[in-house]
Amino acid sequence: MKRMIIFCMLFFCSTMVLTETSPRRAKYRQILRKIEELESMVKEKDAELLYTPENFVDGCENTTVTCFKKGILKLQPARSQDTPKFTKAIRIVSRFTAKDKQCNATPPCESYEKKTPKNFLKGFENLIQMLFKN
Amino acid sequence: NLLCHSVCLLLAGVECELYNEEYMTCMWGSREMPTVNYSLFYWYKNASNKGVECKRYLQDQGVRVGCYFEQNELIQFQSFHVLINASVGGKTLEIPSKRMLLQDLVKPAAPVNLTIRNMSNNQLQLTWASPYPNDQCLEHAVKYKSNKDTSWTLSVNGDVFSLPSVDYEKSYTFYVRSKINKFCGSTLFWSEWSLPVFWGSNSTSKGPPAGPPPLPWWCAVWGSVSPLLFPGTVEEQLYWFGIRTVLVPIASCLLLLVLVILLVRMERVWVILMPRIPNPSKNFDELFITHNGNFQEWAGVPKDVVESFKPNYSENICYVTELPPKDSHEPLWDSSNHAPPPMPGPPAAPNEHSPYWNSYGRV
Repeated sequence: MKRMIIFCMLFFCSTMVLTETSPRRAKYRQILRKIEELESMVKEKDAELLYTPENFVDGCENTTVTCFKKGILKLQPARSQDTPKFTKAIRIVSRFTAKDKQCNATPPCESYEKKTPKNFLKGFENLIQMLFKN
Repeated sequence: NLLCHSVCLLLAGVECELYNEEYMTCMWGSREMPTVNYSLFYWYKNASNKGVECKRYLQDQGVRVGCYFEQNELIQFQSFHVLINASVGGKTLEIPSKRMLLQDLVKPAAPVNLTIRNMSNNQLQLTWASPYPNDQCLEHAVKYKSNKDTSWTLSVNGDVFSLPSVDYEKSYTFYVRSKINKFCGSTLFWSEWSLPVFWGSNSTSKGPPAGPPPLPWWCAVWGSVSPLLFPGTVEEQLYWFGIRTVLVPIASCLLLLVLVILLVRMERVWVILMPRIPNPSKNFDELFITHNGNFQEWAGVPKDVVESFKPNYSENICYVTELPPKDSHEPLWDSSNHAPPPMPGPPAAPNEHSPYWNSYGRV
């Protein structure tokens, strides 16, 4: 009986440990899929150009993500029937955050080049790919 | 002229390939190129030095046709630019290339160690290893064909390939190749096909095989459990994570409850954790048993005190008076000839006839 209880307590502790493994990569995969969806639905013609960070500064990942999130909110779907799916994808992407390891000096969002919505989304995709790979 | 001809060929583009993230080759020409002196300069957008020359050229019959980059010269996720100088007869033409991102140019090495395992239900499972360091970044494609098929069957999948039903009279050949998936880069290059692996009997063998080999029990268990442990899509993984963060704490709490109940049942452990409160009633046996709980009786309180505490107690009023002496009209003492009246000494035995008598009230 005593051994069974000790075993049960060890099992309980180990299950708590297992749940601690974070699905960071699963989250990145989800964001990448949503960006892909947005790329297929986004309006390009007569759309506003957006500041697109590139050559990302090491350690300033979240600051760069914030720049992208500001631009994401200005995107529009090309077809009105895509609006619900588009809005849902924007909402999921807007909730995403990264961690700044050590950010000393990051250029402001407005210092980057302005690009079309699809190239903006490709830039965002590059950032998430970098986070996934590392 | 010569220069324009080479420019036309170059404008087809510089092609760079990052082989397994170990080295990179950028090729701009071939043997058909005219004999012009080429040199390559490269830089990253944020680099301090603009235009480092290629340290190792690749040559074809004395003509530079490409450049070899070492691993320490490569930085991914940064804009990479290349400039080719074509010079002949004193004239130099600069041909810049467009901006490149090295993570989109990775070509992984071909998979190795292809292994076939027999599973239950005539199923074959193909596994392999990849020299590429990051397995999460790869997607794979398998092509296979039996000796009776005319064309290859292609299948794009994850880390493991299963062939649902095999014909034991055929022999199969499998090839695998890899590509960087969309989570690590937007690449177009597949790796080379791996070395093939074969399975099954040849048509020249003596007879049909005896049958599927006996299956170890853990194989069947693993086959049924592994789809649960390794779900495929992102949504499934997130779903499983949601399940784990909600169900596992609830299950753990229930388990804890069960453990506490078991603990309660185990008297020996319970007594250590929750000791009995000492009962001092032994010291009061006399009070409870002999005197039946009557505290005043046990403590030895006198009966009249006990009586006085009773609420409806009443006491008779007792009058105390002192009677005056009998000859009350006796003249006042004259100091001339009478002896002073005798001082009241110790009273003689009280006598009715005595001039002095007191009545004492009884209390």
